[in-house]
Amino acid sequence: MSDLAIDVRGVVKRYEQHVAVRDLTLQVPRGTVYGLLGPNGAGKTTTIRMILDIIAPDQGSIAMFGRPNREPGVLDRVGYLPEERGLYKKMEVRRVLRFLAELKGVDGRTADRRIDEWLERLSLRTPEQDWGKSKVDELSRGMQQKVQFIGTLVHDPDVVILDEPFSGLDPINAQALKDSIVELKQRGKTVIFSTHLMDNAERMCDAVCIIARGTKVLDGYVSDVKAEHGVRNIALALDGEARNGASEVLRDPALVARIDDQNRFFEVELAHGADPQALLQRLVHAGAAVRRFELVQPSLHQIFLQKVGATNVEEGMSGHG
Amino acid sequence: MAEANKFVVVFKREYLERVRSKWFRVVTLLGPLFFAAISILPPLLAARSGTSRDLANIIVLDATGAGIGDRVADAVAQSAKGTTRPVVRTVAPDSLAVAESLATAQVVANEYLGYLALDGKTLAGTEVRYAGRNATSIIDIEVLERAVQRTVLTMRLEREGISAERVATLTNVRIDAKTEKITDKGRERAGGMASLLFAYVIFFLLYMVLAVYGQTMLRGVMEEKSTRVAEVVVSSARSTTLLFGKVLGISAVALTQVLVWVAMGALIYSNRAQILARFGAPPGAGGFQLPAIDPMVGVALVLFFVLGLVLYMALYAAVGSMVSSQEDVNQASMPVTILLISSVVFVQIILIKPADTLARVMSLIPFSAPIIMPTRMALVTVPAWEIAASLLSVALGCTLALWLSARIYRVGMLMYGKRPSFGEVAKWVRYT
Repeated sequence: MSDLAIDVRGVVKRYEQHVAVRDLTLQVPRGTVYGLLGPNGAGKTTTIRMILDIIAPDQGSIAMFGRPNREPGVLDRVGYLPEERGLYKKMEVRRVLRFLAELKGVDGRTADRRIDEWLERLSLRTPEQDWGKSKVDELSRGMQQKVQFIGTLVHDPDVVILDEPFSGLDPINAQALKDSIVELKQRGKTVIFSTHLMDNAERMCDAVCIIARGTKVLDGYVSDVKAEHGVRNIALALDGEARNGASEVLRDPALVARIDDQNRFFEVELAHGADPQALLQRLVHAGAAVRRFELVQPSLHQIFLQKVGATNVEEGMSGHG
Repeated sequence: MAEANKFVVVFKREYLERVRSKWFRVVTLLGPLFFAAISILPPLLAARSGTSRDLANIIVLDATGAGIGDRVADAVAQSAKGTTRPVVRTVAPDSLAVAESLATAQVVANEYLGYLALDGKTLAGTEVRYAGRNATSIIDIEVLERAVQRTVLTMRLEREGISAERVATLTNVRIDAKTEKITDKGRERAGGMASLLFAYVIFFLLYMVLAVYGQTMLRGVMEEKSTRVAEVVVSSARSTTLLFGKVLGISAVALTQVLVWVAMGALIYSNRAQILARFGAPPGAGGFQLPAIDPMVGVALVLFFVLGLVLYMALYAAVGSMVSSQEDVNQASMPVTILLISSVVFVQIILIKPADTLARVMSLIPFSAPIIMPTRMALVTVPAWEIAASLLSVALGCTLALWLSARIYRVGMLMYGKRPSFGEVAKWVRYT
């Protein structure tokens, strides 16, 4: 059996006016948390839909565990959570979940047992109240999201695909989702999620694929990607009052190639051939109160900007997913 | 899991969720009540309103001087089958106006229902006047008219020297028109009116069920689309599997409902005499006979219904998949609704001329045949080859609709936002 959970090769998807995905190749190793990153409209959802055989690619092949994803039964091992969420509003929670489980080939009895376990685990079923017997639209939004999450996992899939799972989540639910993703990984599952939030991905993903305008920018294990892009970045923190003198130094193109100004924190990419020590001296000389000056690996965000260029991102951000 | 099993899962959900719903139960139970209302109420009302209960509670003003008043009163009492007998007041011809004024006052005071004025013209056999609260009741007036007519006739015959018994025998003529329909198979017991009514009920039922379940399908597809459930399902099964599961599932719901209606209707119909009796209708009321249905015709009716359902459900599913907003749905479903309504537009003509060219042509068009053919079959004997040709045409239409719908559905279901133009939809169909 293949070591790859998903193997996408040379996939192209064209639409009437534009090419949504252009010659995309990516490999998702088994048991990893994999991030599909890119601005809105980059082709993430289209890629996910092709992996799930919701739409067919115009060219290329997609395999799952070494078998074509069109083969019957292959996708029964996948759980999918679409970006915008919803369930049959007028249906009883338990029946919706059983329906989703049965669609994946789980027999009724097994499904019922798992549904009970899940409902209890996510405290939708307590000795006082069993929300499983309620209709979906009687549940709060948070509870509906839990139910949807159960629906994605009720058939115990080996691969879980989440499209923009963090959008619309409050910090508490976002943390709960992160915990769940880590737990899935610990149980040997492969988790793929798309996001336009690089920071999220950087902390959680073992491997990533960054795409922009339907084209792959880079992919691979996060550690490899960062190592490849060298230690040319400096994490810099200054005391607020002393910023004025420093800003001139930071604008010097001989020292700084790019700067991500986050007000009190800066991520500085050194100019080609520039010496970090020289930068530090100049800053101190300019009267800046340096609280942190550390050579770091670049963030995914920096790498992305470096590769694509800020203009592309701005345009991409206004597009539609 | 095999695709066929997934179809079963989708079908089962579609069917069970809808059959379990409150709406389904209420409509299924109210349907037969509606049927009962149209099959039992008219004869019941007819029986009730046959004659006013106190028809005999009138005044007979006899200004003829021939003593006809008492005999008219007897005849009225007999016809009204009541216990009371009209009050007879013999008056002189010149004081009839005064007597009428007094009688009017008594009717106004609700002592009597009305008064009947007999005078010379009555004896001459030309006129009798009645004034009363029930003057607009055609049946009451007819009963009074007949009573006077018979009395005048009897008196004339007696004057000719015919004995009273003989007169009674001679004048005892009660004609009740029994109508029969003649079809290719010969005479049938059911009346023409009952056939027409039956055909209309079949037409109305088919049209209504198609229209109502068409809306159900539209709402169902749109819900799946807007909640993205469709996307989740299609990540597990083919879009065609989802579509066919929905189309056949909802069709099965409609079929279930109609079969329950037919069963309950048949039960009510076969027990209508007892039910009518319980409501106090006299025996023999509601004696109209539904046309007997040939078992083969019954099978054909079910086939037309099922094929028609599948055809329209497939088309409505395609429409539902095209739109993303409630505002667009009416406009988008217009073409399908027009196909459905075309049958309504022509039904009057077809009910009158069920064997004419228009009726025959419309029975061959797949969009109108599922409604028009069963309606015709209830009215006249349609040649077997015509039924076969019609069924074939609907079956072909069905296949085409399913094919077309599958192609539109798989693309439309994933498209959000603006409603696609006709050209865009045509492109979806051509996508491979």
